[in-house]
Amino acid sequence: MDSADTTPVIPDQTESDTGRVEMLLDQLPHRDAIPRKSGEVAFEAPWELRALALGVAVHEAGNRPWADMQGALIQSIKTWEADSQEQSWQYYERWVDALETLLVQRGVMTIAELDVRTKVVLATPRDGSHQHVHHDPVAVDHGRPSPQQGTEPARS
Amino acid sequence: MTTSETTQRPPPISGDELRAEQEIAARVKALEALLIEKGVLSTEVVDRVAEIYEREVGPQLGAKVVARAWSDPEFKQRLLDDASAACRELGIGGLQGEDMVAVENTDTVHHAIVCTLCSCYPWPVLGLPPNWYKHPAYRSRIVREPRVVLREFGLDLPSTVEIRVWDSSSELRYWVLPQRPAGTEGLNEEELARLVTRDSMIGVGLPLAPEKS
Repeated sequence: MDSADTTPVIPDQTESDTGRVEMLLDQLPHRDAIPRKSGEVAFEAPWELRALALGVAVHEAGNRPWADMQGALIQSIKTWEADSQEQSWQYYERWVDALETLLVQRGVMTIAELDVRTKVVLATPRDGSHQHVHHDPVAVDHGRPSPQQGTEPARS
Repeated sequence: MTTSETTQRPPPISGDELRAEQEIAARVKALEALLIEKGVLSTEVVDRVAEIYEREVGPQLGAKVVARAWSDPEFKQRLLDDASAACRELGIGGLQGEDMVAVENTDTVHHAIVCTLCSCYPWPVLGLPPNWYKHPAYRSRIVREPRVVLREFGLDLPSTVEIRVWDSSSELRYWVLPQRPAGTEGLNEEELARLVTRDSMIGVGLPLAPEKS
């Protein structure tokens, strides 16, 4: 058994992180198209949030101007509008496309590599490491029944 | 200042749409894995950015389901019997093979959820898991000393309340149906949904109390 871990569970969050990212998003072309709900950036699926975070993280890790991402996004949308039958595009799909283009241009990876890895991910069952279903609680703290609850049978 | 409300796609539930979603989700995962392997960035860095918005993904969907359950006893029963099917009624669905179970808080029983082995989480209703949910500290301590951990979240339950901790797996993900707060009789579903917090659906918090007008 691992030794008793008493690490506090809730970490601190900084407000400056939010400000920093919002500032980047504000500088994006088509920023009105960023899906929002009551003014807050909104996401339909977890991958959208992850893609946004990747784009920002890549930018902060490199020493390139944010204008690169802006340009890639504009280009991705232009290409989509020119090539596709439908006029409407989904913001985060264009975002992923722009990020890929940028990374390929910078020689970080090739599309072929990404295609191969994507197939691997699709073939791997999610969290395949454990599929054992637990139908009962994994832990129960019975508490102390009040005097009035005296006749309840003990649960194992 | 105007708020822009863009039209959102409804969550994918058709076969084609589901496949397309799975593909792009896999692509983003692959992208992150490659970038980490190539030393461009670390998971922690991406987590930190994602953390800023993590509260926005999904919890509003779960809140909708909870508000419906609070307002409609028959829906609530369907939810407790088969959460995945009940959520699909509201257009909320996940990938196949990921069933959900909603466990209901009562006056005498309070539930909390965890994934002891990794970070399995009912993302269709709650979005992305918060970072603390994924950390070993939470995963081991919520099982070993749930009452103490809940107190650290500011949830001090009476000793007469039993606490049950549920371990999610890749095939079955639990989430908590919190109790409807007192004094909410006059509220409609939309107003009720605003009281439901992500933490109350994980079981580490309670829904908000209604504002006194």
